[in-house]
Amino acid sequence: MTINVTERPTQQRPIGFGNPWLQLGVSVACVFVSELLLKRGASEVAEPNSAFSWTGINGLASPLVWWAIVLIIASFISWLYVLRYIPLSIAYPLSRVVDILVPLGCWVFLDERISALRWCGIALVVIGLALVVKPVAKMEERL
Amino acid sequence: MSFLAFFFIVVSLVTFVAAQLILKRAMEFSATAGMRNAYFVSRVAIGVALMTVSFFLTLGLLQRFDLSYLYPFQGLSVIFITILAAVVLKEKLGVRLAIGAILITAGIVLVSMS
Repeated sequence: MTINVTERPTQQRPIGFGNPWLQLGVSVACVFVSELLLKRGASEVAEPNSAFSWTGINGLASPLVWWAIVLIIASFISWLYVLRYIPLSIAYPLSRVVDILVPLGCWVFLDERISALRWCGIALVVIGLALVVKPVAKMEERL
Repeated sequence: MSFLAFFFIVVSLVTFVAAQLILKRAMEFSATAGMRNAYFVSRVAIGVALMTVSFFLTLGLLQRFDLSYLYPFQGLSVIFITILAAVVLKEKLGVRLAIGAILITAGIVLVSMS
């Protein structure tokens, strides 16, 4: 068996489905799809006039919400796996790509009409996040 | 947006950030002290409970607003972490962090007006 000497033993990265970079992609994809499913599910059973619906509990009536919960758990597990191999200050900034995917998904899959003003706001948030994501990941490591 | 909606958005974000930090602390603690102790179990329980609160509040909000409207507010979580780091770690705000925080805030103001 050959050992790649450029990698430290703690960072030995499994290949195939266990590849941490692939798992990072899986985690992001699960978050992305779960957000869209949650929105679809919540809209299906929405009761905006009832005060109780602020608790969101009525959302459990939608099967899409349950699928979203499954994906959230899956994303959480693959994220924990990713963190065993990739440092938070690298993995976290990359995972924020979901901030771009979600508004695009809203537009493409949910047919949400996003005004120019909202696009500008989203863009500012994304740029701001891109700027702070590394220092914040480091802070979170210490917190 | 109503005051109530803004209140729930902030509560759902604060509970989420708090849960993340509590769970992280619990996991770090378990690395040395193991998982079979009251401290670890209670922290995980608190973390999971806070995450659940955040999840259901989000589900309530999604019944009322577009996802493209609500999602950018998650940028606020970064501001909470920055404030927390300043308070707990006495960390100073770098220029990059300050500019980023201003951009995120401006972006959220634009989204909330849309």
